[in-house]
Amino acid sequence: MLDDIKVLEQDIQQFEIADEDQLEAYRLEFLSRNGRVQSMFKNMGKVPKEDRAEVGKAMNQVKTLAESKFEDAKLSLEQDQSKDLGAKDDITLTPPSYPLGSLHPLTQTLEEMKSIFYRLGFTIADGPEIEDDFHNFTALNFPPNHPARDEQDTFFVRKSDDPNVQDLVLRTHTSPVQIRLMENTKPPIRAIMPGRVYRNEAVSPKSYFLFHQVEALYIDENVSVADLKETLITFAKLMFGSDVKYRLRPGFFPFTEPSLEMDVWWGSEKDGKWLEILGSGMVDPNVFEHAGVDPEKYTGFAWGMGVERIAILRHGIDDIRTFYDNDIRFLEQFN
Amino acid sequence: MKVSYNWLKEFIDLPLTPEETAEKLTLIGLEVEETEEYGNSLEGVIVGEVLDVRAHPNADRLQICDVNLGDTKTQIVCGAKNVAAGQKVPVATVGSTLPIKLDDGSNLTIKKAKLRGEVSEGMICAEDELGLGTDHSGIMVLDDSLKIGKPISEIFDLYEDTVIDIAITPNRPDATCHLGVARDLSAALDLDLKKPEIKSGKTVETSDDVKISIENAEKCHRYVGKMVKGVEIKESPSWLRNKLKAIGVRPVNNVVDVTNFVMYEMGQPLHAFDYSTIRGKEIVVKDFEKEVEFETLDHVKRKCSTGTLFICDGEGPVAIAGVMGGVDSEVSEETTDILIESAYFDPGSIRKTAKEQSLQTDASYRFERGIDPNMQAFAAERAAQLIAEVAGGSISEETIDIHPSKTEAHQLSLRKSYTNRLLGTEFDIQTIAEILDGLELNEISRDEDTITYEIPTFRPDLEREVDLIEEVGRLFDYNKIPSPDHGIFVSSEAINDWEKLNQKIRETAQQLGLREIYSNSLIAEKDAALYGDKDQMIDALNPLNKDNSTLRPSLLHGFMKSASYNFNRKASGVRFFELGHVFNADKEGTYYEGIKEDVHVLFGLSGLKNVDSWSQEAQSYTVFDLKALVNAFFNKLGLSDHLSSRSVDAETLEYHWKDQKIGTLFIPADNLKKAYDFEQESFVAELSVTTIAEVLEAVPESSFRSVPKYPSFEFDFAVIVPQQVTAGEMMDVIKKKAGDQLEDISIFDVFEGESIGKGNKSLAFRLHFLDRNKTLNIKEVEPIIQRIVKSLEKDFSAKLRG
Repeated sequence: MLDDIKVLEQDIQQFEIADEDQLEAYRLEFLSRNGRVQSMFKNMGKVPKEDRAEVGKAMNQVKTLAESKFEDAKLSLEQDQSKDLGAKDDITLTPPSYPLGSLHPLTQTLEEMKSIFYRLGFTIADGPEIEDDFHNFTALNFPPNHPARDEQDTFFVRKSDDPNVQDLVLRTHTSPVQIRLMENTKPPIRAIMPGRVYRNEAVSPKSYFLFHQVEALYIDENVSVADLKETLITFAKLMFGSDVKYRLRPGFFPFTEPSLEMDVWWGSEKDGKWLEILGSGMVDPNVFEHAGVDPEKYTGFAWGMGVERIAILRHGIDDIRTFYDNDIRFLEQFN
Repeated sequence: MKVSYNWLKEFIDLPLTPEETAEKLTLIGLEVEETEEYGNSLEGVIVGEVLDVRAHPNADRLQICDVNLGDTKTQIVCGAKNVAAGQKVPVATVGSTLPIKLDDGSNLTIKKAKLRGEVSEGMICAEDELGLGTDHSGIMVLDDSLKIGKPISEIFDLYEDTVIDIAITPNRPDATCHLGVARDLSAALDLDLKKPEIKSGKTVETSDDVKISIENAEKCHRYVGKMVKGVEIKESPSWLRNKLKAIGVRPVNNVVDVTNFVMYEMGQPLHAFDYSTIRGKEIVVKDFEKEVEFETLDHVKRKCSTGTLFICDGEGPVAIAGVMGGVDSEVSEETTDILIESAYFDPGSIRKTAKEQSLQTDASYRFERGIDPNMQAFAAERAAQLIAEVAGGSISEETIDIHPSKTEAHQLSLRKSYTNRLLGTEFDIQTIAEILDGLELNEISRDEDTITYEIPTFRPDLEREVDLIEEVGRLFDYNKIPSPDHGIFVSSEAINDWEKLNQKIRETAQQLGLREIYSNSLIAEKDAALYGDKDQMIDALNPLNKDNSTLRPSLLHGFMKSASYNFNRKASGVRFFELGHVFNADKEGTYYEGIKEDVHVLFGLSGLKNVDSWSQEAQSYTVFDLKALVNAFFNKLGLSDHLSSRSVDAETLEYHWKDQKIGTLFIPADNLKKAYDFEQESFVAELSVTTIAEVLEAVPESSFRSVPKYPSFEFDFAVIVPQQVTAGEMMDVIKKKAGDQLEDISIFDVFEGESIGKGNKSLAFRLHFLDRNKTLNIKEVEPIIQRIVKSLEKDFSAKLRG
């Protein structure tokens, strides 16, 4: 009996299945109702009782072999058929393009700054782009007819000869939002104020008549230059990497006293140079008084920086006007 | 402002190199923009004698010269045609540096070289190569009598300096001169300051030579006149010419050069009049109640408005005070007697005139910032002495000093406690005094906590205690202020809803596959006119040019312009969004009366959605691409259930919350696209973020609802209606009649054709009903459908299709 099973096993192994017909012939010969596998089981009755366990095991192995050979062959034949592909069944063909959204590089730079300030616990505030003379200049300690006003060439929206009527201007900096915050909030105040600002300056690769600033303001009872310095350094490290080389130097802004500017070293040790990244200082007592904050009780720091300037630095952009052309070939580099 | 390193060293024993000096100046607040070398000492350049000249074997244009340098003989390859044996010539020997700039900014240093195979040790120089002139036609041939080997520096008047260009901030008028810059350095480096010594003359208010009067003492606080008689006008000596040339000032003649010198030395602008031209021997400082025409030194006839301050003689104006002199009183070669003017003019008055005339001179620059009001007599004496020195003549004994508005030095106290509180330092009073030492503040009194100073009048910026604290900080160096012991921020501020909304809008737009653009807020008047009534828009009164004059009334121009820009560069389609401020005239106004300043968001699609490809034909965007996007946007903001839309016309759909308009979705007209030179299909939605924020405040925040346990019931039906009935109108009715169980409504077929009659169309609706408590069946839905159909029949003459 075991020899018959052996023969069957060999016949199964040697049966060649190359196409559908042979597959069917195989099925008929071995796996059909009257096929050789079934017939084999029918002979079980003839097997002596003591051999049945061994023979049964051998029969089952042969059955499994017959079935798996059939399944394998069937699958393989199906796969062969699927290889019969049309011209369009080519996975290497080009797909249609998928529309990708993107944030403008200035938004991306601004978001990076915001997230740093959020980590430092700052909130955010905004204000109008059209401001009156008081908020844009006088409250910020730019006296009328002061040379400091010349440094911010101004677009006027409304001008009046009546001294009681305020001129309206396109804000030249985001600092007026400081005044609005101080007017409406009791210290402590800790906020950043991003936004669009305008300067009546000739257009060139380096300057445009509008750009974006971020202002930061922190007012509390004992805020000092040391705190300002620490915050500036933290910012520079988070923005430009912890190995950033920086320096602080005195500056001048009408609304801060003392005023400081921060430079970072840009480029290699040998060929690099100092580049100014921001202006800052301690809120001038005159500003506090204009905004109704007691300068003997409170001190504070403020700083501002240009979003374009930082974005230009980071990406090596050579012309500030590129930001406003909205050329897709520019925008898609900032996906 | 250009400052000469050599000149600074005359006031202080500066132990720093020019580069170190520049770095120090920057760190104390006098920001150096650039340092530049001036001139050259030509060390290593000596007189040589050309012994022999022969042709170069490998180059037609070069010649080989044997040159005798005194101690040695050497071979030099030379390209000049005029070189000849027997000439005495300047030779730059190996190792010498010439004032010739290389590409990397450094100067040329002579090295031993091989030129086309021939050794060349040195260079025979042309005039311009030595910085001695501009001639480059050939090598410079020197006087035959000169000794061979003699250094060139002993033959020519050579001058070498480093020029430091400082950006002076408006608060530092004292630093607009060499003495002021030297004073700051002396304070920061703890060096002695050597000031020029001046003998003062006898001060008088009247003199026989000239009568001086000030009519407007508010605009002219002081006027000092000083005479020098019998001068000889000629070229200045080289020390004076070199000093001025180094800082970029063109020498004129000895008298004018001295007045300039004193201005750059101590900051007092001076003017020298030719005394003989002063009519009536009289000077009057006055303004006029009418416009005055006046010709200035630069030969420009200027119209000067009422109130412009003039220096007049007995008959009329001779100079615009503090800005520029006139042609008639200029010092000329015939001048023999000089009247030196040294005055103090009100900064505001000078600023106004200089701005009006668009004329910033070195004088007006200083007057505008506010010079020392007590320096005039001193500066006039200094100039008189220098003029006598370089131009001969005798200095008048008398100094005429008219001084109607006197400025007294004021006192200022500085508290140690406030200083430390503001700077975050722990200075004691002695340290503070030492830091400030050198600024020439006069200490009046001092105790443990407070020092009181008399502030010199050359520091008008030191008005308040905090100004003195800044002096402490900058001279100490902010980089040296220690870090605080502990972090300063202990708690975080919350982010407000407005910011969150703006962030969400940007995020959503990005997720919807839109690219953010930033467009100009100042647009051309002619473009603005495309968007409605110009009277309802806000203009800049002083625009840069006519292309950037009107504040954008909407974001549409920015989109159209950006789309056009990209189509011109072969883009097939654009998907853009922008978030920004827009401005319109409005009675009430947002922040200011008459001006409505809103924040808008724009979504725009234009051109091809898909280009031609193997898998599909090119496809333009349709209005429904944009509508889908806007719906998704409202969905994301949680507003879908609260808004309604209605069509204004075939091209315009408005979105509303109750009666408040949120924005519009529309198809820009062909003529608008034509104005931007493109024809591509375009679809734009512009929404007011300001209004969306208000709506979000008003509507209840959407709360979580459990996922329905029961399936919804779907019901389809189609009706035939006249063409002019819109789907929107019908859906409004369907929604109203369907009640709360209606979950969703969509249109799955739109059909028109002969079979349903001309002028008709068929719309097929698919409604989803849901009951959260049970599974709905046809029996429950049927009555609702009947209600709906009945209304449609009544309102729109609709017929249910079988």
